[in-house]
Amino acid sequence: MFEWTEEQRMIRDAVRQFVEAEIAPRRDEFEFGDTPPYEVLRKLYKTFGLDVMAREQFKRRLDRPDGGGGLLGGDGEEVDPKVRANTVAMPMIPIIELCRHSPGMVTALGVSVGLTAAAIMSKGTREQQERWALDLLTLDKIGAWAITEPNSGSDAFGSMLSTARRDGDEYILNGSKTFITNGPYADTVVFICKLDEGNPPDQRKILHFVLDSGMPGFDQSPPLRKMGLHSSPTGQLFLTDVRVGRDRLLGETEEVSGGGREDAKATFSIERSGVAAMALGMIDRCLELCVQYAKERVQFGQPIGEFQLVQEKLARMEVARLNVENLLFRYIEILAHGKQPTLAEASAMKLYSSHAAVEVTLDAVQLFGGNGYMSEFHVEQLARDAKVLEIYAGTNEIQMTHIAKDLLRR
Amino acid sequence: MNVVVCAKQIPDPAAPGELDPNTKTLKREGKLILDDSDAYGVEMGLQLADKAGGGEVTLVSMAPHDEVSGLRTALAMGAAKAILISDDALQGSDSLATAKVLAAAIKRAEPDLVLTATESTDGYTGLLPAQLAELLGWPSITFAKHIEVTDGKAKVQRQTEEGYDEVEAPLPAIVSVTAGVVEPRYPSFKGIMAAKNKPVDQVTVADLGLSADDVGWKGARQEITDVVPAEERKAGEIVEDEGDAHERIVQFLEQLKVI
Repeated sequence: MFEWTEEQRMIRDAVRQFVEAEIAPRRDEFEFGDTPPYEVLRKLYKTFGLDVMAREQFKRRLDRPDGGGGLLGGDGEEVDPKVRANTVAMPMIPIIELCRHSPGMVTALGVSVGLTAAAIMSKGTREQQERWALDLLTLDKIGAWAITEPNSGSDAFGSMLSTARRDGDEYILNGSKTFITNGPYADTVVFICKLDEGNPPDQRKILHFVLDSGMPGFDQSPPLRKMGLHSSPTGQLFLTDVRVGRDRLLGETEEVSGGGREDAKATFSIERSGVAAMALGMIDRCLELCVQYAKERVQFGQPIGEFQLVQEKLARMEVARLNVENLLFRYIEILAHGKQPTLAEASAMKLYSSHAAVEVTLDAVQLFGGNGYMSEFHVEQLARDAKVLEIYAGTNEIQMTHIAKDLLRR
Repeated sequence: MNVVVCAKQIPDPAAPGELDPNTKTLKREGKLILDDSDAYGVEMGLQLADKAGGGEVTLVSMAPHDEVSGLRTALAMGAAKAILISDDALQGSDSLATAKVLAAAIKRAEPDLVLTATESTDGYTGLLPAQLAELLGWPSITFAKHIEVTDGKAKVQRQTEEGYDEVEAPLPAIVSVTAGVVEPRYPSFKGIMAAKNKPVDQVTVADLGLSADDVGWKGARQEITDVVPAEERKAGEIVEDEGDAHERIVQFLEQLKVI
């Protein structure tokens, strides 16, 4: 059975200390002041040597003969499960710890490193990886992964209107993207669109292009106002006849497996497991705050923790925390043994943990009463932030259909 | 330059501490952590070794039950190795007995400089740095807020109530550092992962050539006769305003000699 090792606990304590010293005191600035999260995230990376580790891992990966495999080993390669477990578990610790105070930071970081850089690393040529991915992995540059459009959300590929048209050896890109994490500030954007060859839209190939901020015809909007996740800047992207060479087409080929749709689905699976780690951090923090409040807040002459209806909330929060932690541990164990969760398993994990986070954070607001509704007590922010976990990385309704379809296929 | 940092492992101050009713000493049964006040010495030692262009930091610690959790934290920050003295005979050691044990361990490391905190966060005696210096026969400088090592000398700004004194001593020397001396670094992920494999030399009292009679309860020259709860803070005085409240407040402040 997996459990956090002594080293992982030490890392947790160190990251928690950093977050409580560097981020928690500046919460209002990040929440209400439009201060982008990147400077403090870079400080986090430098403080713990994550930029150096990213550079070393990048080099190791490129030095491999197949250029792939990553840290978990390539096909048929023997890697000690404990080493694999550590490799999977380690990045989850900063996610959990950041989410205790500022889940938006994780979204900003995850999209830049986990989605944008990962997409370039999995689909790009070696030249493209060196040109764009390394700076993203070290956080020297910020990335955005642009798939969603005003009229294409859950039906990402079916309703996608963004296009690439061939023009000699080059492509002309057009389209609008929305709800793009890091969109307002991204240096590097992976733009997903359909190759328009005059064929029907549902038969068009899906292509990924890499754009740099400031390219002619490429505009990035200011941050959009939203319900929560204020420390993660979200924006729109507008492309008007953006001319790019083949060097910006990921993989430098139009011939991608599954018409380009399968690769994006693999990305969804990773994204969904990250949501569980986020949920755990938010639940853990709420539970900690609620237990403390239940002991200190006195009503009718006794601490409110003495009341059974308050106890019921605390107990349910603890059950949610244990369940989400167990899901995460199971995920780590699966990968530690060289396997991959199915898309349905990743969906189940995302569905349950996001729902648990929403329920726990709202219960925390209720337990705090009027104080819970006030910003000062933090739980209202976590409740607003938690809601997005049910919406992004595939809505929970989409997760349910994935799980059900998987069951019906058996 | 080789630096020894005395690193105390103490019960987590965030958890409620408990006294043994018989010995009137702090219970140290559970996991121990690095005393926060020693993190400054570790950081200073690392910076001095780095600046000197060579050498390393060795931790010296005396703790029960082979406890290394606190040492791992300092090793993760960058210390190269540790000497841990753990022996049942050490139970009940007073500060002089502790100084004898640490001095013997420090000699083994043959350092150029020894750094300590000004006092520990659990015992607060503040006696150890001077006792170490006496036992080792080395100069002692206390309350350092800034340290430089040049030409075989430690040049120290020594914190005083008014400001600081500039003092220096030939090496090897014992210097106690304040919390203002440097900002301790966070251990890097790599540092944490490497800490487990760094050497911790576990030794007993006999290994250090000391007699069990010199340490622990037998060797203690200090006896804790009683421990009483700190006096509760008295309730403040409430001044009812009958038109003269401002004068009474001024009088009160004058009595305190703050105006």
